[in-house]
Amino acid sequence: MGSPRTWPAPTMVVGAIVLLSACGSSTSGGSSVPTQSGAINIGVVAPFTGPAAQFGKLLGSPCYAATDLINAAGGVLGHQINCTSIDDTGDAADAVPNVTRAIATTSNLDLAVGLESNTAATTVPLVNNAKIPTVTTNGLVAFSKNNYPYYWRLTPSDDANGAAFAVWAVQKGYKNVAVVFQNGIGSEGNLPGVTAAMPKLGGKLGLQLTIPADAASYSSEVARVIASKPDALIWSADPQTTATFMSEYKQLNNGALPAMVTATDSLTPDFYDALSKVVGADYVTNSVFLVGSSFSQTTPAFQTYKGALKADAKTSAIADVLSAVGPPASVYDGINICALAMIMAKTTVGSYYNQYITQVVAPKAGAVVVSNYADGAKALAAGHQIQYVGVLGQVVFDQYHNSAGEFAAAVFNSDGSANRVGTIDGTKVLGLL
Amino acid sequence: MQLLLEAIGFGIATGAVIALGAVGFSVQFGISNILNITYGSLMTLAAYIGLLLIDHGVNAWAALVLGAMAVGAVSVIYHRALLAPLVRRGTRAIAMVIVTVSAGIILQYVIVAIAGPESHSYGEQSGQTLHLLGLTLSAGQVAIIGLTAALMLGLHLLLTRTTLGKAMRATSSNRTLARSCGIATDRVSDIAWFISGSLCGAAGVALAITTVSFDFSLGSLFLIPMIAAAVLGGVGQPYGAMLGGLVVGVSSEVAAAVSNPNYKDVAAFAILIIMLLVRPRGLFGAAWSSRRLMEG
Repeated sequence: MGSPRTWPAPTMVVGAIVLLSACGSSTSGGSSVPTQSGAINIGVVAPFTGPAAQFGKLLGSPCYAATDLINAAGGVLGHQINCTSIDDTGDAADAVPNVTRAIATTSNLDLAVGLESNTAATTVPLVNNAKIPTVTTNGLVAFSKNNYPYYWRLTPSDDANGAAFAVWAVQKGYKNVAVVFQNGIGSEGNLPGVTAAMPKLGGKLGLQLTIPADAASYSSEVARVIASKPDALIWSADPQTTATFMSEYKQLNNGALPAMVTATDSLTPDFYDALSKVVGADYVTNSVFLVGSSFSQTTPAFQTYKGALKADAKTSAIADVLSAVGPPASVYDGINICALAMIMAKTTVGSYYNQYITQVVAPKAGAVVVSNYADGAKALAAGHQIQYVGVLGQVVFDQYHNSAGEFAAAVFNSDGSANRVGTIDGTKVLGLL
Repeated sequence: MQLLLEAIGFGIATGAVIALGAVGFSVQFGISNILNITYGSLMTLAAYIGLLLIDHGVNAWAALVLGAMAVGAVSVIYHRALLAPLVRRGTRAIAMVIVTVSAGIILQYVIVAIAGPESHSYGEQSGQTLHLLGLTLSAGQVAIIGLTAALMLGLHLLLTRTTLGKAMRATSSNRTLARSCGIATDRVSDIAWFISGSLCGAAGVALAITTVSFDFSLGSLFLIPMIAAAVLGGVGQPYGAMLGGLVVGVSSEVAAAVSNPNYKDVAAFAILIIMLLVRPRGLFGAAWSSRRLMEG
């Protein structure tokens, strides 16, 4: 061990000046909290190009709904809010430089949303290090316990989703299932939940396969699945892989297909089109069940959310699909929660308002329960305490900033939109893990 | 045992598609000595041309022929406009590879810009299921196997029994000498690029039929197995490429049937490496001296 390194006084002075000027470059203000000038930006980190581009559109669209409503209510502390797309392409190799660049070059980047499973392991630390609060839609089990203070998740982890698949399959009477997941962090994360839950529910895992994406043929894999005589497939794969596999299944099984239980991540026009084109719309609308986080579609919060989706030209065409899926709703709720936290903190700077996020959703005696940003802002302006209960219902963050919520199953309608067909008790699901 | 037998049948079907592309790739390399990585994107282009035609009511098999011809023509233009001038200027082989990689990426992005990133499908084209000698194959797969065999036979006859074939082999062996003997080497080269480009196009449409659903990454995903098949058979050896395609296809399907399907490609490439350790010139490398068929 050498002696501690000492810095010459002039170096320290110059360093201090540089440090202070860097801090002052984006913020200015009084001694308590910094303020910003101009519009503030929400970075939507999602795949906007590449094979998962449609999923990116699902994650990005709720930002427009939320910011439309917030800006119509006067913005946050006088600032208008913009949605800024940051393309992670669904690939960590692209995500890291793209997110790093966005953090360095986007002024007033005060909130990040999206950060889905394929890239979250690399993007969450980047955004966290920049002290930007993050509402992530990733399902990685690794984040169920984490040390990132700026990380927030309002949707269940993948293993909980996997257990919900099993609960729904058994609930529908499918006792002998084959589990087929595409390799990759997004799909395989569901597997531990399925394998843990199925035996506890009295069901049987006839076969468990992990398949590569976009192969020329899955005939051998299909033959193995058919040999296990499953009542249903518990499935997770991209649209292209799904179409190839199911087409060959139909071919090799004399036209018969088992039911499919998959994630609401597949609730995309691409998945519907790819599958219905090769196995028929009847199968897709009647036998494909999409399981994921749930919320009531009769609450005032939901009506406001869906109304905003319908009202914006950028989101109106997919409003029905968007309003049936949990992760996009978590983006919408997350933006509202953070915007209200900014008001409580009296600043839009992430490192300051982050600590107020739990206060926005925590139940408190005498608090005004609000279901949208405008009502929350009014209540705060009137000096009231608030509790935000949004589209996803009551949010209860654990010590790691995760809130799992409830589950539901949906089916496709013939126009590619979705219709909820049942709910799954979240407590029961978590009890199976 | 039945599953294994079925897997061999599935492998022959997959291998036939790989062989189709691998033979074209091998012929192209044999005649020009250029490792053309753009080949993958040209396969993708063929798949999208096929989609356009099928969406306009053209039968899938007619679309395969038309897509093949179109990509054959594009290949000739691509060679004449970009690769041939670079060769004339003495561009090094490694630089040529980089040029073809770059051109492939550009073509892929152009396809995405025009057709979008989402997946597409020709619809169900496989036809009825046939059971032959314990193998289970769709009518579409049988048709592709037959088409591949017919094209291979045609290519064999072209190269060995026609004046054009002799001219192609002479050009491949020594371009300067061939020209001094009165062979129109540029024209012969164009024909060779058209033939290999057509095989590339046929492979692209056949792949789109086989996979049922595809996107802009189709060609690049299957380029590596095709190159592997070509290398396995002995680069420049059309028959070797065909056999290599079958080895890659069958080994990957058998691996998927008896082990973790994630390792299906691993099995194929492991066989490739082992084979090259044993026979560095590929399957046909010893019995056939390097590029013998192309050289005559």
